[in-house]
Amino acid sequence: MIKIVLKIVNYGEKIKMISRKKKGQMKTKKLKTSKSKILTVPEISKSKKISKISSFHLSRKSKGQMKIQQMAFMLMAVTLFFVLAGIFILIVKFSGLKESASELEERNAMLLVTKLANSPEFACGSAFGSTRINCVDLDKVMMLKENIAKYKGFWSVSNIEIRKIYPKLEGDINCNLGNYNECNLIRIYDTLVTGYDMSTFISLCRKDSFEGETYDKCELAIISASYEEK
Amino acid sequence: MKVKSNKKAQEEMVGFALIIIIVAVIIIIFLGFSLSKSPKENVESYEVDSFIQAFLQYTTDCSDNIEFLSIQKLIFACSRGESCKDERGACSVLETTLNGIVKESWKIENRPIEGYKLTIKSNGADVLNMDRGNVTKNYKGSVQDFSRSGNSIEILFTAYY
Repeated sequence: MIKIVLKIVNYGEKIKMISRKKKGQMKTKKLKTSKSKILTVPEISKSKKISKISSFHLSRKSKGQMKIQQMAFMLMAVTLFFVLAGIFILIVKFSGLKESASELEERNAMLLVTKLANSPEFACGSAFGSTRINCVDLDKVMMLKENIAKYKGFWSVSNIEIRKIYPKLEGDINCNLGNYNECNLIRIYDTLVTGYDMSTFISLCRKDSFEGETYDKCELAIISASYEEK
Repeated sequence: MKVKSNKKAQEEMVGFALIIIIVAVIIIIFLGFSLSKSPKENVESYEVDSFIQAFLQYTTDCSDNIEFLSIQKLIFACSRGESCKDERGACSVLETTLNGIVKESWKIENRPIEGYKLTIKSNGADVLNMDRGNVTKNYKGSVQDFSRSGNSIEILFTAYY
């Protein structure tokens, strides 16, 4: 038993010795090769090998540098491209800014004109029987025209115009307190606007008389909100 | 070794070209979207809606024993086959008045309007059918329904531009 144990221990020491020897051999080999590169005069074959290795190292280095250069140029090109594209988009966007401002004003005019006829300053309310939609009280409008100074800047428009379209009258006859039964044009503000306008159909109602009796008379008209062109 | 490097260069070139093409396509699509503006409508929906609302309130020269009838009341009178106080038929007055109103409101000569069509139905049967100009693919229409004592009226107006 003791013999067996001793044999195993000896075997283990032998293995250790062999491995130490191999490591030592490896180290000497490495030292030899390094020495041969630096100190000894190289043989033709060896020198060829060394030159090959060095050229390989050099080519790899230059290739890497080239790749880095390529990437740098590529990054610069991509950045430049996006900067130019951004400038182009900004130019396109800003060139349409004035147009979009006009479009916005037109849209506002459209929204205003659709609700203008039903606003308290214009709407018929219950003055002509039942409550009506898109009905404008002519008497209210005439009074509004007379007192328009109090409404300065209220609707943020250049002018509001009401034009009777049926029954048709020849030419433009401006309405005032003396003729508003036989006229066809009411300009809330007295200025003539050269711009664009949005209009909608309304029913223009007033009290009229026939054979001494009063009745409700509604005619067809269009109401326009106009804006000055900027 | 040379063939391999050549191939690699070719692959890189193809990749670069692909990237350029993709970016160019994206830019073109983006520009297409940003530059294309929605075309301005010649006729807006609210114009057609308001037109029906407005003409229904128009006071005609046809009167019964109480008052001058509005278009709305005249439509009911026409569907019942009634006449005005001055013996004119309600339907005839309705047709004359509406013809004048539509002609003055939707002028084919001045506006970018190509044509229009007005239909008035009472309980599904045509009371009035009026059309003028050309029927195009661009149109705006509106329908108005109302009823009185079991009589259902449907008004349909379409403007073509």
